[in-house]
This record gives sequence, structure tokens and C-alpha cells, in this order.
Amino acid sequence: MLTIDNLHVSVEGKPILNGINLDVRAGEVHAIMGPNGSGKSTLSSVIAGNEAYEVTKGDIIYQNENIIELAPEERANKGIFLSFQYPVEIPGITVTNFIKTAINSNLRARNEDEMPANKMLKKIREIAQLLEIDSKFLSRSLNEGFSGGEKKRNEIFQMAMLEPSLSILDETDSGLDIDALKVVASGVNKLKNKDNAVILITHYQRLLDYIVPDYVHVLHEGKIVKSGGKELAHELEEKGYDWIK
Amino acid sequence: MAYTEEDLKKELETKEYEYGFVTDIESDTFPIGLNEKIVQAISKRKEEPKWMTDWRLKAFKAWQEMEEPEWANVKYSKPDFQKISYYSAPKGKDKYDSLDEVDPELLKTFEKLGISINEQKKLTGVAVDIVVDSVSVATTFKDTLSKKGIIFCSISEAIKNHPELVKKYIGSVIPQKDNFYAALNSAVFSDGSFCYIPKGVRCPMELSTYFRINQAGTGQFERTLVIADKDSYVSYLEGCTAPSRDENQLHAAVVELVALDGAEIKYSTVQNWYPGNKNGKGGVFNFVTKRGICHTNSKISWTQVETGSAVTWKYPSCILKGDNSIGEFYSIAVTNNYQQADTGTKMIHIGKNTKSTIISKGISAGKSQNSYRGLVQINSRAENARNFSQCDSLLMGNKCGAHTFPYIEVKNKTAIVEHEASTSKIGEDQIFYCNQRGIDTEKAIALIVNGFSKEVLNKLPMEFAVEAQKLLEISLEGSVG
Amino acid sequence: MPLADKLVSSFLAFELDIDIQSPVHNIRTDAIKSFEKLGFPNKKLEAWKYTSLNKVLKEDYTLFSKKKNVLDFNKVKDFFLDNTESYKLVFVDGFFDSFLSQTSHDKADVCIMSAALSKNKYASVIKKHFNKSIEKSDSLSQLNTAFSKEGAYVHIPKNIVLEKPIEIIHFATGNESALMLQPRNLIVIDEGAQVEIIESHQSLTDNPIFTNSVTEIFVAKNAHLDYYKIQNDRLTSTLIDNTYISQQRDSNAKIHTFSFGGKLTRNNLNYYQKGSYINSTMKGITIIDDKQLVDHHTLVDHANPNCESHQDYKGIYSGSSTGVFNGKIVVNKIAQKTNAFQKNNNILLNDKSTINSKPQLEIFADDVKCSHGCTIGQLDQDAMFYLRARGIPKKEAEALLTYAFANNVLESVNIPSLKSKIKKIIANKLGVKLGFDL
Repeated sequence: MLTIDNLHVSVEGKPILNGINLDVRAGEVHAIMGPNGSGKSTLSSVIAGNEAYEVTKGDIIYQNENIIELAPEERANKGIFLSFQYPVEIPGITVTNFIKTAINSNLRARNEDEMPANKMLKKIREIAQLLEIDSKFLSRSLNEGFSGGEKKRNEIFQMAMLEPSLSILDETDSGLDIDALKVVASGVNKLKNKDNAVILITHYQRLLDYIVPDYVHVLHEGKIVKSGGKELAHELEEKGYDWIK
Repeated sequence: MAYTEEDLKKELETKEYEYGFVTDIESDTFPIGLNEKIVQAISKRKEEPKWMTDWRLKAFKAWQEMEEPEWANVKYSKPDFQKISYYSAPKGKDKYDSLDEVDPELLKTFEKLGISINEQKKLTGVAVDIVVDSVSVATTFKDTLSKKGIIFCSISEAIKNHPELVKKYIGSVIPQKDNFYAALNSAVFSDGSFCYIPKGVRCPMELSTYFRINQAGTGQFERTLVIADKDSYVSYLEGCTAPSRDENQLHAAVVELVALDGAEIKYSTVQNWYPGNKNGKGGVFNFVTKRGICHTNSKISWTQVETGSAVTWKYPSCILKGDNSIGEFYSIAVTNNYQQADTGTKMIHIGKNTKSTIISKGISAGKSQNSYRGLVQINSRAENARNFSQCDSLLMGNKCGAHTFPYIEVKNKTAIVEHEASTSKIGEDQIFYCNQRGIDTEKAIALIVNGFSKEVLNKLPMEFAVEAQKLLEISLEGSVG
Repeated sequence: MPLADKLVSSFLAFELDIDIQSPVHNIRTDAIKSFEKLGFPNKKLEAWKYTSLNKVLKEDYTLFSKKKNVLDFNKVKDFFLDNTESYKLVFVDGFFDSFLSQTSHDKADVCIMSAALSKNKYASVIKKHFNKSIEKSDSLSQLNTAFSKEGAYVHIPKNIVLEKPIEIIHFATGNESALMLQPRNLIVIDEGAQVEIIESHQSLTDNPIFTNSVTEIFVAKNAHLDYYKIQNDRLTSTLIDNTYISQQRDSNAKIHTFSFGGKLTRNNLNYYQKGSYINSTMKGITIIDDKQLVDHHTLVDHANPNCESHQDYKGIYSGSSTGVFNGKIVVNKIAQKTNAFQKNNNILLNDKSTINSKPQLEIFADDVKCSHGCTIGQLDQDAMFYLRARGIPKKEAEALLTYAFANNVLESVNIPSLKSKIKKIIANKLGVKLGFDL
């Protein structure tokens, strides 16, 4: 589904990623771990197409197409979803209105018909229930005044609504208490199937108890320095990040 | 909402001002220039009684001694008042007894404007008075309204048929000498709408006036007078369009609202006069005086969406004369390219326990200048007056300007006045977030702008709200990148 | 003869008294021409919409005091800081008083304008800074320039931190039946230097005094200024205080204005930011009553990226007093990442008191955070009740709440003896005996 080949990225001339290689196939869950400043969030932003980052070398192949030159919305249209570490606030736009606009924009980009209002409403209700989201929450302004947990839950809600092929969850667990984490994780697990893939970006092993990865990669100074199965995460938890340095 | 994303897409493709067509109807237009004779001729053409002619002449005299105001934060070459024709009417019968007699070309104009009179009749239940150039050409729903005793007609008809009401109230809120443009309007106004809601009557439908400048080289000077008698209610809508022309067209309207004891008037405007082309050529000069007087326990609420005109100079105001009266002003002003807007409100608190609310949202893009100018005045005997004002500006790009000039004058110690203003921009992170969810940049901006303007959009009647949202998007096209 | 004419015609007499060979004399000559053209400001000018000088200008002022008057320190010591070592620049009826003053040339020049304008060693500083930041269209500043002769001259060289504050006091003895004063101050703070200054104008009798003061301040790179204006003059005095501050990058300039006295006080406080990462702060407390008028006009010209400005003005008005606040923030096109905040909170205590507030934003850059807030209200009645229910008399309770309302402005005063002096003035003004150190 996703192949990252020798990816180099700079911000304002400063190199952040120095040759990332990664293969993600449909049905897999990959966890990318690493200490602060290792380039985890940069990697997720670059896959989503944030133009603040400059790709100096390498390719990102998604569903057999090099997406390096694509605009963020074009990547989203093709099914790439990024759950932001710090979701932005947009005053005055309700959660419902926003997701409606997003879904129909994506459908239109794929030359499909827009989702009828009743179907949309039904889906919103189902997913809100799945993620234990209060309906009042849906009529609030997007992320405005949301607590950290509410923001993250809203991201997963949008993920469920948009049904992406590739989801990148950037530090979705940070700032969540254990109950909220369980709800988010069970949501992700329910949405998981053989046709889609998930990349979990996290600092902590905790999340991986609830969303079990097939592969764990350790990022350090802009490079993947170690890859392995889920046991690698436990090893890291025990030994700390100093172990890989 | 009937408006679909598909419609939006079409709108977005229409890069030009979509109402910029000229209707080819024969007009009866006066020669250019302004003097006493022209004023008399207008009055005569309209078969007005002597008191009205005298009233106009008095205004003209005052106007001659006045100077065009210069305090507004706008720059333009002043119109040559001797090069404007002060009267232009679609030729044909002077009066239309029914829609069937209206020039079919004119009816087509309304279709293009999105006002299908017949449709409206059936579906939305909005009574419409249409003013093309200077003359009111069609008023719908007269019969339904007259059963309730509501008078809704052109001001010319009102002068003839209801002189006692017109005589009593015209100029009572905005005197002839009030300001340069109001004086000019008082002298040469050619038509406009008149509305009277009798005691205790709740007007069953939205009343609407659609203004259209059509003829080249004419000024439009319409006069609107709305009187809500004791304990009555009316919601009034006003829409404005003009064809695209190279030269600047002048529009100097006067709107007077009278809310008697316990009455409520809601006055909504969607102003979309031709803004000029993207290089700043042409466009309408919109110099409008709007003011309402509130008697005891009454309420006047102004809502405006200002997206058009090359230059806008407009301050819909409330004189809160009666105790417990309420004034509201909700405004969205969008400027793009070379547009300039200087708009806001005055809330004059005279009565006790008077309340006013001001919410102003200014959006500037391109090379435009957008100013909020407002006055909140609490007089010494206005015990327990309350005001809340909020003026927010959104800037798009680095070539435009946003300005706030609030004047707050308080002479009573029991007053509570709060004023807040902020300036912000559309964040790149906000756009990226929307992009990531598959929403393109143009649509993302529309979303954010709609969110920014929401408090005001919510105040508009439904039909207008949809139109206003579309207008916001169209006005800001090409403002990024 | 109208005062404006009298001033123009006495310029010749003034010239007889000064060194007309001085390089600044051309500046004076241009300034008097400019004043002649502009005249005194009137209410037709937007900037003077709420404040009329008509009554003030009707007095027949003596323009130059005839003789030096001597003051006894014991009679005026209350106007100085208690128990605080300081440099002192004292002027009496427009003349420098060397007995009451304590000047310095050790680490820095703390001396007088007349010396700076005539002596060679100051020529380069004068040439570089004198009259450089003045708003040319402001007739009162031009008038002051025309008659500029005496005032405070402070020059703090590079990296010098002046540990003692400088007190600048302009006394008027009242020996003339009515006197006009035009002090001219120049403060130059070089790179990395730091200074605290306290300025006041004080008349000693009830004869009318009209002071038209100009202070130019230059704050170089990374320099720090703390400036306090104590305006607690008699009710027969009028003060026009024009202050111009020009700041270079990384500098920090704070001005506190405490306005309690005077018949009419107009503060024109103009900040010009000439570099990046500048911080400009202006705060004020105004407590007036009777027929007093205090008018604060502030301007912050954000002309460079990444700068900040903070304004916080509190006003409490009783009697038939009038308060005016006009705060203008301009953010120029290139001044991206500007943070500009302005607050003006007012309390009206009497039906005859008035407040006119015009917080004004003119923004030409998009990536900025600017806001202003203005409130007008009364003391919180619930809080009043609470205090009175605890046995505090109404007047004290009012004073306490007023103090609480203004307190955050007082908090940022860094000189302890000054802070307690201001607290004392506030208690006096509110007619209570409270320590406020509750």
C-alpha cells in the first residue's frame, strides 16, 4: 500500500529525516516509536503532504503511485488520513458541518455522488455511538475549547467517517487518560480490516497494549534504526530509548 | 437547504460578477445635471402634491450649501453631480396593475436576479417590491397584505394614497439636512418602498425590496420608509445588484425606520452592487443613510451582508429614544480587490434601560480597505443602558487593510459598555488541516470565513442566509495564492 | 492679544536671549513658522474632538518668568521620593535650580538641556537626536520646539545600568499671576543601558499654569527604560505632555502615567518601533473628580516584524470629570508577527462624569495578533455588599474596590518608595485613610 524509499526531508534547510525506508501492506498495523525530536511527527506530516517540509530526496509510493508532488487534499482524496497530534481549532464551524464538507469533497474528487443527508446523519450517529461521543459535542465548533481528549476523539471520529485506506495516528495517545485511550483504541480496532492499514506514531508503549502492531520501528535522528515485531515495543519500554542510541 | 455543493462548484467557476448583465429595456431618462428645475421636474413627473415638491426643494437648498464628507477612511474621485441623470424609469406604463403588464424583458431581469416573482408568490411567501433604476416596478402580494391592513407599496404611491403617513414620518428620523447624501436623496429621490404595519399586526411574510441599477449614467436614489405601529412586527429584506460598467455609478439611498411603542422591525440587507473589476475600475459608490427610531419597548435589528460596491459608506443606526428599547446591528463586510468599505453603526441611548448589541465582522482580501466605524453614545439620562460590541477582522494576504474606529461616549454612571475587537488571519495550519481531510483550499477558506461570520449569518432569514453564504465565497474568489 | 499671536510675536524677544548661532536655531525658526501656520488645536480636529483648550488659552500668561525664584527644600521635599537615593533635575518657573538638583557626569550625563544645546561635547548627540521624532503636524510640539531652551538632558552610555532613579520635577512658584512653561527634555539611552526616570510637574500656588512639555526618548538596541509620570498637580494647572519614544531592536520601554491632579491634562504618548523584537508598554491609572479632564492619546507605530505592545489604562471618574482615551495601534505591512494588545477599563462613579473612549486599530499585515477591549461600568455591587456586610464603611469599601480595580497597573511599578507614594496619593484622592497593604 505504502512504500517509502530513501526519504530525506528538511525544514528551513535543516535536515530532519535522513533516509527513511518503510513498507506497509494492506491489513497491517505499524508502530513508529522514538524519542522526542527523532522525526516521528515530521514523517507523518510529510506523508500527508504538509508543504512546510521540503523533501530533498526519495519517494513516497502510495497505491502504486508516487505522491510526492500531490497536494494534501489530493492525498486525502486517495484515502490517506492523518490524525493530528495538535488538531487546529476552527471557530464557528461545527464538527458535523466540517465532516459533511470533508466527506462530500472526497466523494466529489472520486467522481462519486454526494452522500444523501439521511445516510450521513445515520452514519454520524452510529460512529458517535461507537466512540461514545455525546451528540452535543457534534454541534460544537471544531476543536474550539475542546479538551485534549476531546480533540483526539474527534480525530478518530473523523477517521471513522472518512474510512481511509491508510491512517496515520500521530501521538493519538498522548494526553489521554486510560479510559479515553481504551475508547479510542477500540474504535481503531473496530475500523481495522484486511484492506486498510494503520501507522501508529507514539512515544509510549502503552497504546500498543490496546492496538497491537504487526511491526514496530524505532526512529532515531531521522532514520529507522531498528525494526521488529510487537515484542520490540516491550523491550524498548524496559530498556529505554538510550538502548538504541 | 436547496443549495447543493454542485451549485457551489458552478458558482466557483463563474469568476466574473454574475449579476453584471444589462437589460435592454427602453428607459425614460432625464438629461444629466441637477438644479431646482430638475428637482421640480422629478416631483412633477411623479405627480406629487405641492408639500412634497416644497419638501424636496428645501432639501435641495440645504444640499447646495453642504460639502461632501471626507472623514471616512475611503479614497475615490468624487462624483460630478452635474454629470448624473437623476431620473430613469423603464418606459412603458407609469403604473402596473398586475404583473402581466410588466415589460417581459424586465421580468427576464428578475429571473436572472434569481427573483422569479411567480415562484416566490407560490413558494416562499415573500412579498417583493422591485425597484429598477429609480422606479418601483412591481409589488407582489398586495392583496394578501392589505387584508391585514398592511400597506406595502412604492413610496410614490404612498405619497398619493397615504399622504398623512408620509407627511408625518418622512424626514422624521433622517432630516433633509442630516448629511450631504441624505440631503441629495431628499431632493431627488425617485422611488423606493413604503411599508406600514398597523397596530398589533404581525406581518405574516417577509417583505422584500430588490434594487437594481440598470441604465448607464444614472444615479439611484431610492427612499424607504418603514413604519411599525404599536406592538406590530415586520421583517424586511433588501437586495441590491447592478450591471458591470466601467464608470462609477452612484447610489445614495435613505432608509428610515420608525418602531412605535412595543413594535419590532428586523431589517436585513444583502448588498451586492457591482464592486468594479479586479483592477478597481468601475463599480458602484454606495453612500447610504439608514437610521431607525425606537420608541418605548420597541426593537430595531439591522443585519447586513455587504459584499459589493467599489466604495461603501454606510452606518445603519438606532436612536433608542423610548425606555426599554433595543437596537441591534449585525454586519458582515467583505472587501476584495480594490474595494473600500467604511461601515458600522451608531447606537444612541436616550431612554432608560436601553440595550444595544453590535457584532461586526470585517473580511479584507486583495488590495482592499475595510473599516469599522461605530459610535456608542450613552446620554446622561439613559439609566441602566447596556451595550456590547464586538468587532472582528479577518485579513487575507498582506496587501489589504483592516481598521476599527469605535467611538464610545458615556455620560451615565449606571451604564455598562463592553467593547472588544480582534484581528486574525486564516492560519496555514487551519488550511492544511482542511486539506488533509480532502477539502481544497478555496473551499477551506469558504468554510473558515463562514465560521468567522456565523454569528451574523445566523441572524439572516433562511433564504437570505444561503444567498449570503454564496456571496461570501464568490467575493473572496482568487484572494489566495 | 490671543495667546497664539502673543507667542509668535515674542519669538523675536526670545531670540535676543539665546544663542542664535546654535545649529538648533534653524529648527526653532522652522518650528515657529509651522506653529504660526497651524495655530492651537481646536475641536474640529479629530485628535481634539473631546478636549477643548479654549478656556486654557484665554488666560494672559507670562511667557518667560522674569527672575529666578529660590525654593526652600523643606517646603517641597514631599514632592520627592522618600528615603530613596536619586539623581534630581529640578526646574523652578522654567529655570534650572542647582541647589535642589543633583546632576552627574560620572557614569552618565544627567544634566540640563541649556548646557547640552550650547556645549560642544554634546553636539553630536543633539545633532543625532534633537527634534528627530517629533510629529511635524502637531502644533503644540512645534511650539515647544520653537521655544526649546531648558529641560532635562539625560544620556546613558552603552551598557551602563544607572542604579539610582532620576527625578525630574518642574515647579511653578506662582510668582507670576499666570505662567506658561515649555520644558524640553531629551533622554538618550545607548545600547544595553538601563535607566528609571520619574517626572512630575508641580505648581505651588493656585495661579494658573499652562505647561506644554515635550520629551524625546531614544532607546537603543537592547536598552531598557522605565519611565513614570506622576500627574498630581493643583486644579488650576493645565498640562500638555507630548512624549515621543523611538525604539531600536530588542529594546524595552515602559511608561506609566498616573493622573490624579490638574484641571486639564493631555498626554500624547507616541511610540515608534524602529527594529524587531521590541517591547513597548504603556500603562496608566487615572482617578479624577470635580471638573477635571484627563485625555490619553497613545500611538504605537508597529513598523517592524516580531514586536509587541501592551497597553493597560484604568480610569475612575467621579464629580463632573471627563476622561478621554484614544489608543491607536498601527501595524504596517511588513510588521508581521506583531502582538498588540490594548485594554481600557473605566468606572464612572457619578452621573455627571463622562468617558469618551476610542480604541483604534489600523492593521495592514495579516499574520498578527491584535486586540483591544474597552469596558465602562461600575464597581461590583455584590462585592460592595460583601465588604459592607463585613463592617467596612461605604467610602472605604468603594476605595478598596477602586484600588483593586487599578491594582494590576500599580503592580508593575518597580521602585518601592514610588509605589507607596502613589498608593498614598490614591488614598488621599479617594478621601480615605487606608494603607492598602491589606
